[in-house]
Amino acid sequence: MKRKKGKESPEMIAMPLSSIMNLFVVGMVLLALSGGLAVFVSVFRRFVEQNAVISSEQAVVQVSNTVYNYTKDMEEIMELIEDSYRQEKEIRDNALETLIRIRKDVIAITSYDERGGMVDSWTGNYCLKGMILKNLSYIRKEEGAEDRLLISGPHAETLLENYYPWVVSIRKDLETGDGKKHAVVMDVRFSQIANYVDEVGIGQHGYCFIMDKNGDIVYHPQQQLIYSGLKQEQTDILTDLEDGALVKRNVIYSIRSLDNCGWRIVGVSYIEELVTGRVMDAIRILLILTAFLLVTVFLSSFLLSKMISRPIQSLVKAMRDFETDAEEFSYQPVHGSKEIIALSDSFDHMVDRIQDLMEKVRREEITLRKTELKALQAQINPHFLYNTLDAIGWMCEEERSKDAVEMVNALARLFRISISKGHELIPIEREVEHARSYLMIQNFRYKNQFTYSFEVEKSCLPYLCNKITLQPIIENAIYHGIDRMVDEGEIIIRIFEDGGDIVFSVSDNGVGMSQEQCRNILKSEPGDQTGIGMKNVNDRIKIYFGEKYGMTIQSELDEGTCVSIRMPKVEENRYEV
Amino acid sequence: MRFSGNRKLYTLAAVISVFLLFLAGCKQENESARKHYVAIITKSMDSAFWKSVYAGAGAAATEYNLQVSMEGPEREEDYEAQNRMIRRAVAEGAEAIVFSAVDYNANCEAINEAARKGVKIVVIDSDVNSSQVSCRIGTDNLEAGRMAGYAALKAESGALYIGIVNYDINSANGQQREEGFREVAGEDARVKDMYTINVLSATEDAREGTVALLREHPEINVVVAFNEWTSLGVGWAIRDLGLADKTQVVAFDSNVVSVGMLETGEVDALIVQNPYAMGYLGVEESYRLINGGSGNGAVIDTATTCVTRENMFEPECQRALFAFD
Repeated sequence: MKRKKGKESPEMIAMPLSSIMNLFVVGMVLLALSGGLAVFVSVFRRFVEQNAVISSEQAVVQVSNTVYNYTKDMEEIMELIEDSYRQEKEIRDNALETLIRIRKDVIAITSYDERGGMVDSWTGNYCLKGMILKNLSYIRKEEGAEDRLLISGPHAETLLENYYPWVVSIRKDLETGDGKKHAVVMDVRFSQIANYVDEVGIGQHGYCFIMDKNGDIVYHPQQQLIYSGLKQEQTDILTDLEDGALVKRNVIYSIRSLDNCGWRIVGVSYIEELVTGRVMDAIRILLILTAFLLVTVFLSSFLLSKMISRPIQSLVKAMRDFETDAEEFSYQPVHGSKEIIALSDSFDHMVDRIQDLMEKVRREEITLRKTELKALQAQINPHFLYNTLDAIGWMCEEERSKDAVEMVNALARLFRISISKGHELIPIEREVEHARSYLMIQNFRYKNQFTYSFEVEKSCLPYLCNKITLQPIIENAIYHGIDRMVDEGEIIIRIFEDGGDIVFSVSDNGVGMSQEQCRNILKSEPGDQTGIGMKNVNDRIKIYFGEKYGMTIQSELDEGTCVSIRMPKVEENRYEV
Repeated sequence: MRFSGNRKLYTLAAVISVFLLFLAGCKQENESARKHYVAIITKSMDSAFWKSVYAGAGAAATEYNLQVSMEGPEREEDYEAQNRMIRRAVAEGAEAIVFSAVDYNANCEAINEAARKGVKIVVIDSDVNSSQVSCRIGTDNLEAGRMAGYAALKAESGALYIGIVNYDINSANGQQREEGFREVAGEDARVKDMYTINVLSATEDAREGTVALLREHPEINVVVAFNEWTSLGVGWAIRDLGLADKTQVVAFDSNVVSVGMLETGEVDALIVQNPYAMGYLGVEESYRLINGGSGNGAVIDTATTCVTRENMFEPECQRALFAFD
């Protein structure tokens, strides 16, 4: 039944189970979610990145197909021109002028002899300049180069009066009728592919552009921005690259070459906007999910705590109550989860068992004291008996037969009450009689060295008390208090009611005892006189009536001692042991 | 303790949930923002220069998803029309005005008024006398004038008589260009005299003015003009008078006709600005300012190129001269 002192402090810092559970669950969920989120984002990012590369490549393939078709178209026009060369000059002029007027993207057609001198020109609505400052349309052909289409980089048209569109020149060498070869050059704007290329978007800001194999930009949706110096394209890096995709600092470049001319289609798209946008969408959905999940977690942990924590708390309270008062405790089973019910049942069993055991121990203790008392009574101090009988003998010799009779009677009474048919509890009246008999005998023996008096409240007499309660105390008063006195001693025995209790007190004016003696006397084994010590008295009272009853000793050296015994009022027939 | 601990936890849960939902929701708010409106008010509308400015502005407007309006007065001296345009743009809810001032001082009041109403002002090409301008974008006019000066001094004659055909005297950029030009030309010992006339910014007016100037001072062997229309006027005057070989002409801006004259010899050098960049950067800067960017009178210079008959078909000069459309 001891309580450790330190037990309060860990309880102060310890958190309630429900909070720990909530924190734990929420922590786990947050941890799992953020971990999951991180993994998800990286996996998803990679996935979207791959997708972005694929879609960028697809866009480039589409553009390159369109541009390829366009170049095919140009080749066909070249073939038309070739056909016209087999006709008379007049028909040819007519055909080519018509072609230029119909095809808005063909600006001018010029032909050159083998030394590069202009032979002929067809310019549609615009006039050829009288004096050409510089001819950018004529493409010089390298010696021994293959006889195929040559395509120039983009340049301003320099042949026409007051008309300077950006064009690309296409050269093809044709046989003229007279065995000479003429270079025919066609200047083309790319309004047609331009519209198409402008429309191609990869993501929000991605685009395609066309460059030639030297890295010069042939067409770019933002060509004017580049010409104005507001935008640069990293063509120097791109020129060296093989066809395929390159991811470089958040930009995806997809490159594809056309095989009939040196042009390459480059798709530019930005990973951030492609990937981040989608990842942000995904994260947003995840965040909403997380919020709902958190709410759910809190609700469920609230329910959990209701199911586990609360029952555990009532269990704890029950245990604490049991700890403070084991005997009176009665257990109310706690409801909750299966485990809790198992715990509660076990505790219930334990309480029953402990209470049974405690009862058993109490009974055993009583039996033990009874046996002890009986044993002590059986071996009543022969010294006492011998002295008493000696005194009686001496009285007979002196012919004080009346005194002798009184002594013998007192001795007989003493023994009779001691035995009391084996009852532990006897009426107080009898106990007083027992004490009186003992005092009488001792008074004879000590030759009236002391006086004694009884102050007994009449109302107390019918109640029961443990037998042989007063005698050991009186014995103690005589042997330790009066015996060593020079003056006449005095012993006063009082019995009175105090509330619901009865108090016995034995006071003497003897030599008194020290504090240590007082403490020892309640612990020490029986003295050598009647054999029944003060400890035995105290033990029996406590066993029968509980801890709050028993013996207290007040003593002062050279002043005297007062021993009081407190016990409850026990009426006859109500307490039968 | 148990109860209060729980309450704290539930509050925490609620806060986290709300925060997460907020995070999830906030991006969508941004997307629903309406289009910003930027008004572009120029000196005039139909020159190649301004068309190129508009093209640049349009490209930037598409890029940044802005609503733009582009307008300018009929005549390049009509500052009152410009002021009316400013007030109307403000009334129509423009958040920024990209402005090129006809008159350095006379446009100032309307611009300040607009700025007081929270409209961001970006000046391109020609400046206005206002402290409310957030950003100035355009040619470094002094430098362009100097460039014209160096081009004029390439004339081979031993003694140079220079005729300057400038436009409206109240227009800031014209005056700055002339200042830069005079600074360079004044240092050369060969320059004996300089005559300036101010004409209306129109081809015909400039042509008549130039012819009159040349008739009055036949010794003039260098003529300079500082914008597109005066350049054309000078070119035509030279062609009319048949002085192409005798006279060194330095003109401004790229126009199909003036490029033709550069080829045929009436014009000997063209100082070509970058109007496309002005328009583009003007709108881009407006977008930045509308979205909280700061610009305390920042100055952005756009490139200027000096094109002569010799280098006119070099790739860089082609790009400066000819617009890609």
